[in-house]
Amino acid sequence: MRRPVQGFPHLGLTRRSVLKAGAAVAAVAPLAAPSILRAQTAAVKIGILQPVTGALAHDGDLGRLGAEMAINEINAAGGIKALGGAKLEMLFGDARSTPEAGTQEVERMQADGACAIVGGFASPICLAASQAAARYDLPYLVDVGVSDQIMARGLKNTFRFGPGFGKVTTVALDNLTRMNELAGKPAKTVVLVHEDGLFGSGLAKLLQTELPKRGFEVLETIAHPTPARDMSNVALRIRSLNPDLVIPSNYYGEFVLLARTMQQQRIKPKGVYAVLGGAASNGRFVKEFPQAAQNVIDCNHWHDPRNPQALALRKAVQEQGKSFAYNVSLNYSNVKLLADAIERAGSTDRAKIIEALNASTFAGHIMPYGPTKFVNGQNEGATPINTQIQGDDIKVIFPEAYAEAKANFPAV
Amino acid sequence: MTVRDLIPVLVLVGLAALLPLVVTASPVLNFLVFMLIVALGAQGWNILGGFGGQFSFGHAAFFGTGAYATAILQLRWGVNAWAGLAAAVAAGGAVGWAIGFLSFRSGLRGSYFALVTLAFAEVFRILANAAPLTGGAAGLLIGLDVRPANLQFADRAVFYWLVLGFVAAVLVLTRWIQRSRFGAQLVAVRENEDAAKALGVDSLRVKLRAIALSGAVTALAGGLYAQYFLYIDANIAYGGWISVELLLAPIIGGVGTVFGPVVGALTLHGLGEVAKQFAGRIPGIDLIVFGTVLVLAVAFARGGILGLLERLRDRGVGMLPPSAKSRTAKEVPNAGR
Repeated sequence: MRRPVQGFPHLGLTRRSVLKAGAAVAAVAPLAAPSILRAQTAAVKIGILQPVTGALAHDGDLGRLGAEMAINEINAAGGIKALGGAKLEMLFGDARSTPEAGTQEVERMQADGACAIVGGFASPICLAASQAAARYDLPYLVDVGVSDQIMARGLKNTFRFGPGFGKVTTVALDNLTRMNELAGKPAKTVVLVHEDGLFGSGLAKLLQTELPKRGFEVLETIAHPTPARDMSNVALRIRSLNPDLVIPSNYYGEFVLLARTMQQQRIKPKGVYAVLGGAASNGRFVKEFPQAAQNVIDCNHWHDPRNPQALALRKAVQEQGKSFAYNVSLNYSNVKLLADAIERAGSTDRAKIIEALNASTFAGHIMPYGPTKFVNGQNEGATPINTQIQGDDIKVIFPEAYAEAKANFPAV
Repeated sequence: MTVRDLIPVLVLVGLAALLPLVVTASPVLNFLVFMLIVALGAQGWNILGGFGGQFSFGHAAFFGTGAYATAILQLRWGVNAWAGLAAAVAAGGAVGWAIGFLSFRSGLRGSYFALVTLAFAEVFRILANAAPLTGGAAGLLIGLDVRPANLQFADRAVFYWLVLGFVAAVLVLTRWIQRSRFGAQLVAVRENEDAAKALGVDSLRVKLRAIALSGAVTALAGGLYAQYFLYIDANIAYGGWISVELLLAPIIGGVGTVFGPVVGALTLHGLGEVAKQFAGRIPGIDLIVFGTVLVLAVAFARGGILGLLERLRDRGVGMLPPSAKSRTAKEVPNAGR
């Protein structure tokens, strides 16, 4: 039991070996003046946590891709200059789509010497993982998790660069109302279709109270589980209600299924307006089911389409034969944001990185947020934008400042 | 039950308790805590499924009840976490009794009982996903407040010892069941319920006691899960994953044996975790190992790993005095299954 097994150091760590190592470091540290430290330029280890197996594997893959691309780019540009050009080293952890596995990976990253963690994707994983990281004051950057609970806990180590649930729904409703007004108010009736988990139910509840205030009539709210294998009944119900607008909030598989079933049954509302839609701004959906995807509008995380860096990233991802989605841009931006913080902290010391993140006014990311400004860990400028699938492309249609194309609304 | 009966339990638990003194790495401790929580829940399943022969596919119903009871009492009514955990055990026992009363009284056995438990767990999941009391789909988040009085510890080792203590207590309990009149009646019901009834065993009462006990132990595991990870939602607490975990561990380790659930949980999760370390960072390698162990155990180790060891021992030590052999057979009533 006491002999460390070759090949996995943290499993075989004994108390004695830790003490020895600690003593050695303590003995060497005063001698190793800054010059030596600078000469060594040890790699800066950052943890990338994504669910690459299990139900969320598709999203996790995209997130990892974004983080990887940012790391490669930073390293190619000379690494962290304040640390003598130290390279970023990715410690990847598979969250296996469960909070326990996420926690376990945080523990491993902590043991392997990560100075910060980026990722999580789903809210439950982010909640558990950031809490585990908080025990070690390990900075944790939430990539996607929109649950408002994540930021409501007041954890000093947790930062969210993207928008939370409250912000997304407010913007989604404002933009919908405005878009409808601009088109001469063609949409009056709505059917909500939502998955019955954290995100779908929460959103549906909010929309049910908010939509009537803005002049829309909610005809019905239809819940379905995730995963759902059949949407025929949902589609039939929509057909009989004949709403102007369908607002779905569900994950990739269910969204695709719903859109395809509606297409097969020739149900054509004036608009399909997804809020944080699972597939509505995913390149794979557009590629695989172009007809079903036509004119679907989404209010979601999306990169700034005027940002050349963003366009280059999108091209690079597509050249690799992979589909592009917001996970890529969010993880890419988060890693860049973290690298900037480490650069300004001039150290891999966790407290200094947290301090640097709090003071961050980083504009080198590719999201339409402006320079970052963190208040209690939440980036105040974060906002979703509206995209629409037009032809074989996903175009930004709203707000006007970022629009690449005019909204095709009403679609019929 | 004599002190001698408890020696293997004491030795193993004693060794396990020394582990945090040697292995100080948090990932290992964190993994061990999760594994022990699964083992504890699986021990609960084993009381009903292993000794009583009533295979439940829905032990999530108890696990989730324990987890939600612990969380809700703290969050909604400010009850102390330790008291919440005690209440979770009681709630698990009560839910177990209620489900047992409804299904056993109607004479549901075998696959019908399994399906009913599955349905109960699913109903609980849907209710928890919708009700405001359980936080609906948003789940419940227990605030991070690291104080021993709050059942949250700064040192992972303390939580490890705590869970280990509970596992040890249930090992003793299982050992007692094995040796007691109640255990004999339970095994009789498992082997042939009609024959047991003919001999005067009140089979409904025996099964109800077993399911209440089983529910209480599994609920304890749920409460500890909530207190350790501090976040639960309907899919975590009442999800199908935990029902499967809790029945796989004893099946792999040895159904109806004292150590089976612990051995099974350790083997399934331990090998997966070790594979993850050796196989570089290939995502999903642990799941492949998990599946392989499962297939191998089902194909070659009837009666689980302990059953296999038992058979190997019997074959290897044919020269043992007959008394020793009969004793082993009695100890592992399920070895031949």
